[in-house]
Amino acid sequence: MVRRTPPVLVSVFCIILGLQTTVCFAQKEQTLCEVTVTTIRPERFMIGQKVKDIDSTQLAQNRFTTLANFLQFQSPIAFKSYGAGQLATISFRGTSSSHTAVLWNGVNINFPSLGQSDFSTLPMSGFDEMTIQYGSAASCVGTDAVGGSILLRSVPKFNQTGLQAIAGVSAESSKNYAGQLGLRFYYPMAKNWKISGKTLFYVSGIRNNFGNEPIQNRKGAQYPVEPMQTLQKGVVQDIYALHSNGNLFSLNAWITDNSLTIQPNSLSMREITQTRAQRYVLSYNVGKTLLRAAYINDVLDYGKADNTNPSHTDIDRYLFRVEHDFSWIKSCERGTNLKVGSEVTHYTAQVDGYEKELKTENRADFYLLLRYQHSLRFSSSLNLRQALVSGFNPPFTPSLGIDYRVFSSSTDRLNLTTNIAYSYRVPTLNERYWVNLGNPALQPEVGFNKEIGAVWKRRTSEHFHQQYSINAFHNLIDNWTYWNPDKNYKVENLQQVLAKGIEIETSHRVITAAGEATAQFQYALTHSSQQKVYGPYTQDILGKQLIYVPRHSLSGTLGVTSGAWSFTVQQLYNSARYITFDHSGRPFPGYYLMNAWATYQYKLKQHRLHFQLQGNNLTNTLYPNLKKNAMPMRSVSINVIFIFNQKK
Amino acid sequence: MKTNSILVALFTVSLLTSCKKNETEPLQPYDTGVIVVNAGNFTDNNGTLSLIQRTGQTAVTDIFQKENMRSISGGLSGYAEVNDKGIILVDNSTAGKDAIEIVNALTFKAVATIPAGEIENPRTVIKVSETKAYVSAWDATGDFSNFYKNPGYIAVLDLTTNKILKKITVQNGAESLVLVGNEVYVGNTGSGKTVLTVIDITSDAVKQTIEVGRNPNIIGVDASSKLWVYAGGELQKINTSSKTVENKLKITASNASKSPSSFVLSANKATIYYTFSFYDAADNYVQKGETYSFSTTSTAIEAKIPFINRLFSGGLAVDPHTGDLYAGLVPSYKQAGYVFRYKANGTFIDSVKVEIAPSKFFFKK
Repeated sequence: MVRRTPPVLVSVFCIILGLQTTVCFAQKEQTLCEVTVTTIRPERFMIGQKVKDIDSTQLAQNRFTTLANFLQFQSPIAFKSYGAGQLATISFRGTSSSHTAVLWNGVNINFPSLGQSDFSTLPMSGFDEMTIQYGSAASCVGTDAVGGSILLRSVPKFNQTGLQAIAGVSAESSKNYAGQLGLRFYYPMAKNWKISGKTLFYVSGIRNNFGNEPIQNRKGAQYPVEPMQTLQKGVVQDIYALHSNGNLFSLNAWITDNSLTIQPNSLSMREITQTRAQRYVLSYNVGKTLLRAAYINDVLDYGKADNTNPSHTDIDRYLFRVEHDFSWIKSCERGTNLKVGSEVTHYTAQVDGYEKELKTENRADFYLLLRYQHSLRFSSSLNLRQALVSGFNPPFTPSLGIDYRVFSSSTDRLNLTTNIAYSYRVPTLNERYWVNLGNPALQPEVGFNKEIGAVWKRRTSEHFHQQYSINAFHNLIDNWTYWNPDKNYKVENLQQVLAKGIEIETSHRVITAAGEATAQFQYALTHSSQQKVYGPYTQDILGKQLIYVPRHSLSGTLGVTSGAWSFTVQQLYNSARYITFDHSGRPFPGYYLMNAWATYQYKLKQHRLHFQLQGNNLTNTLYPNLKKNAMPMRSVSINVIFIFNQKK
Repeated sequence: MKTNSILVALFTVSLLTSCKKNETEPLQPYDTGVIVVNAGNFTDNNGTLSLIQRTGQTAVTDIFQKENMRSISGGLSGYAEVNDKGIILVDNSTAGKDAIEIVNALTFKAVATIPAGEIENPRTVIKVSETKAYVSAWDATGDFSNFYKNPGYIAVLDLTTNKILKKITVQNGAESLVLVGNEVYVGNTGSGKTVLTVIDITSDAVKQTIEVGRNPNIIGVDASSKLWVYAGGELQKINTSSKTVENKLKITASNASKSPSSFVLSANKATIYYTFSFYDAADNYVQKGETYSFSTTSTAIEAKIPFINRLFSGGLAVDPHTGDLYAGLVPSYKQAGYVFRYKANGTFIDSVKVEIAPSKFFFKK
């Protein structure tokens, strides 16, 4: 995991310092010269924000994991889960589940009727890269990026030779099974074109079999086990064509099908939730211009018993985006980047709850992202976005960020960062169009996030890397929507929420000839509370921590790789979570989770075979989900992954 | 802990020897007061019972958890006592996970559980004899197009064995119950069924049905032994001997969009209280209404002057010992509600903060 701080050019860094005697260490960050060849990712404009890339090792290790299970180990991301294999919605930095933008290849894939994603339906194998952005980044990302955003990408690999095939199976003691089959290809066409791509099929069946009896722990807590079954299927198809002049065609498709059945063994009591998504993104990078078109179809069916008459939601989205990058580069360490873009999205929604009428909505976004790097010490960004939505217009959303290196030596670098950003959330289609209870006049929610941070990177030798960071944020979100029980649950812009917190992260890495050891640790203190009186009984809830947001959360990952073996331990602790606005009743107690992997990699010529033993919830912690049913107890799984590399 | 076990043991012995409580028996924590059934928020499965005393504003919250070191797994839909046993109806949001918890009514220690699978969507429980309770249930529900898809039933709960003896099939959406002599009358909610079912409690069998109108909601038996039912949009007075409807009355009011609910008889059985409300489309669907009352001898019912100028969404009940009216106030299903108390003449007494969605009450001695 590498923190993406503003451009730091290690090579240049060393030269400037003229410390030839000092060992310099390679970094993944790009120079200004490098990044201006083609269009720049929006993350480069998030100066002063906390942005974290998840490295490919972690992604590979979690290939049988859902995004929900992975991200819960990234404090301060908390999940509201209805059970393993069931709906899992996010709470990022103390915000609600619709305050995290989830982008896949630059397109927001939150479910439009609910404005949120079910992270249990997004497997880690569905994408190649992931970036976590903390705090408001609506000026770069658009709607929903109030508490943070999860940026998922597919990336071409033009450096591989020949075919690579992957086949993996996983069997878990709780009767959960998963399988994957994939192919990555690279094909140099005629003289100027290279083709590459990826096809991946995945399937998993989740039963979470922990018996039928309620589970009790030594402290006397007792939670029932809910009989359930989830069948998840999907296919990922990426095709890239790269011209020798740098122009790139990309087609990314991700089709998912998720079917959850509660009480699978009793026909009359069955409850079935089916979600299907088809996502297609077609992009053309021509010079510094990006043209993108996307089509996303989301279907949600909910029914009972024989499921003859499910309630139905079917939403189509058509998106077109044009973006152009300008750059004025004085040197590899000084220059200006400007991204100007616009996007239009058309929604059509056929939802039973909207009086069976077809609802349509048009949205447009105009944005201007400006990044100025004065020197290696100082860089800044000014990003502006104006979104337009049929019927009303969200507020103008600017953000300003600064990154300043206060200290640097051959071994240490200390950067201070700050960012001020407005953010917004366009009301969901349900909030606007649900019969009687929806409110077409609803205002968008508006967030104002202020943030400061410090990052200290230390490399005392090429064998030992350390990084420490601290961030503090204050995010005031106004016009927070509330389905008001006083008005028969009509939705209104009633609430105002203040989310504030401190996050500390450390990362240590030891590299020796024999192997590598890494230790990452994160702590977050989050306080998120209702600020405004909106009814006679809201005095009981003012200033109190929002429901399901842990005040303290700690998480960490330890990894050791030596020869063919590697070991990883993932841990998290979340403090007590309140389940009522006024903190009445018993909160969910704090809980600790530990997962671990032992992997043996066997090389067979150019092929590889991974044997992985995975232990989940090793301390057998009993903790509840939102329905007060037991979450999965200890389980063990065996994963076998075969990677075939065509001989070249 | 040890003392409690001894108490339970002592208590069990006393139960075996006599159903009447011995004068010399030590005071138990739940001897007196009012049990408040807090329904909880449905999918949170966090229903609780609180105990409040007739005077004073403190509530003992989540008494089942307090005495048993485990919580009830579901929302709560009812509570009743048969001698010294308390019967708690548990409605979990997952089908097939409902249950009935049976506790010692004086200590609240769990005695037995009717496990998940044996009861589905229990709604109301009443005592019908010294050893028996009736529990109305919907059985499994369907989707919104046919929610009350199955016939309802009455589960006959035997408190000597703590088992369900029998399930008596009744109309869909079985809900309200009242015991009149040796008969139990069964009403229903939502399903659109139009009959009351009459069950003989000695044979635990359906005796007959009485046609009354859509969704009969049983109010109770008044001072002149007439059974009051609200069905088909009308109040109906039923002669329980002849099983005939003797009188039908409509509630008249200046606002035609209001509808009545939460009917309850006063302690002297001469007055009926009810809430009368509507969702005001002209004002963002705010629920508006008041609490009214009428005399059981009225020949016409007009909702003109409110008994209490306030609307309670959590249900009404009358303390048979004091005649006080108890009303549940639910600010939202994610925060604690309040119990408001009024004298029989409508004078406000006090309000007590309880738990999520106070909706039913059981008055101990």
